[in-house]
Amino acid sequence: MDWVAVALTEDVPAGVVIPSRIEDTDLAIWCAPSGRYHAWSDRCPHRGMRLSHGFVRGETLACIYHGWQYRENGSCDYIPAHPKLTPPSTICVPTYACTEADGVVWVSLHQTDSAMPDMGGRQPVRSMPINLSASDLAAHFGAEDFTTIAVVSDHDVLFAVQPCTDSACVIHALASPDADRSSVSRWLEDLRATLEGVPA
Amino acid sequence: MILYDYVLSASCYKVRLMAALLGKALTLHAVNFHPGREHKSAEMLALNPQGTLPVLTDGDTVLTDSADILRHLTVDQPEWHTEEDERWLAFASDLNNSLGLARLHDVIGYEAVIDTARAAGVMALRKLEAHLTEQRFDGLIFLTGKAPTIADIACFPNTALAPDGGVSLDPYPSIRLWMRAIRSLPGFIEMPGIHRLHELAHPA
Ligand SMILES: N[C@@H](CCC(=O)N[C@@H](CS)C(=O)NCC(=O)O)C(=O)O
Ligand code: FES
Repeated sequence: MDWVAVALTEDVPAGVVIPSRIEDTDLAIWCAPSGRYHAWSDRCPHRGMRLSHGFVRGETLACIYHGWQYRENGSCDYIPAHPKLTPPSTICVPTYACTEADGVVWVSLHQTDSAMPDMGGRQPVRSMPINLSASDLAAHFGAEDFTTIAVVSDHDVLFAVQPCTDSACVIHALASPDADRSSVSRWLEDLRATLEGVPA
Repeated sequence: MILYDYVLSASCYKVRLMAALLGKALTLHAVNFHPGREHKSAEMLALNPQGTLPVLTDGDTVLTDSADILRHLTVDQPEWHTEEDERWLAFASDLNNSLGLARLHDVIGYEAVIDTARAAGVMALRKLEAHLTEQRFDGLIFLTGKAPTIADIACFPNTALAPDGGVSLDPYPSIRLWMRAIRSLPGFIEMPGIHRLHELAHPA
């Protein structure tokens, strides 16, 4: 597993941090005012608070609990309780490779030289959680791998799939540039109802 | 205007939030809902035979439903109303009966079939997310348009407090951006579990 889609860029505008996960790895995904995206371990090095509960302040991510601030490279920049202290460089949030392409935020949990998956010029539509594992979803569409699944449909839909648990994943759906996004969104809702086996 | 209020009640917070956004003063009369069950006292039952909170009195008028109270507070302010509001005020009751119930169960031990309440809450959040996503396709951030109305204020509290009832908000990007928009409104006030934007929680 190289690049995994974790969000659509329009859902994480500059100055916003969101919680996310790839299988057992909890992530805080945030977008700095510079427009750069970051994927970090979702635990504050201080007392383990979820950094995704924090907020972007300037070009740093601040923890909601005691306000420790972390630079874009993950190193601690400022500790409010010790304003004169230069935090030791050992205080650092584990970071992962993260980049934006085709309106999708991609993360790789390990170093990789692979290219980003090709979205074929499609437009992002929406991210939708579904109670089905990523591999079961891929199997349903006869895809070998869940990273991207091309779905034969009116709107030329492509799924970039984020594996979460044994029974849940998130579909990041893209569609043909001339598709009506509300129609695609409703089609997705119906698809989820069918695949989860409950009435819409 | 007197609001018979319980600080942890999502429905009472709707009223406090609406008044704060309008810059209208409310006199708060704290009712010991838990553990005192003061909302079922003779004095409160005389005011509201259903024994629920919130209750708002304005002169001789007594209102016992949060949606009615929101309408009353905004009666002279058409910018807080659209034709679509009614549907979302009804939806706000669904949120209260699912997410709200799960939260009261988890926080103060209310009797509930918790799995059913949570499952209904997830279905409601999915509906809300689908609607807000379509709104965003049209460049609209609020439930019924570009500006907030009583519909948003009615639906916001139980949605934002969902995690207190064991229901995650993590998978809903449009709900997150909508809540962010509400939390940034001028005059926004907090309640326990709902913070304003860019505010540091106090260190323990
Ligand atoms: N219809 C009411 C319901 C509000 C509600 O659920 N209130 C709760 C407290 S948050 C309550 O008073 N429960 C007591 C009871 O139902 O006996 C409203 O929205 O105004
Ligand atoms: S836990 Fe993050 S600053 Fe203390």
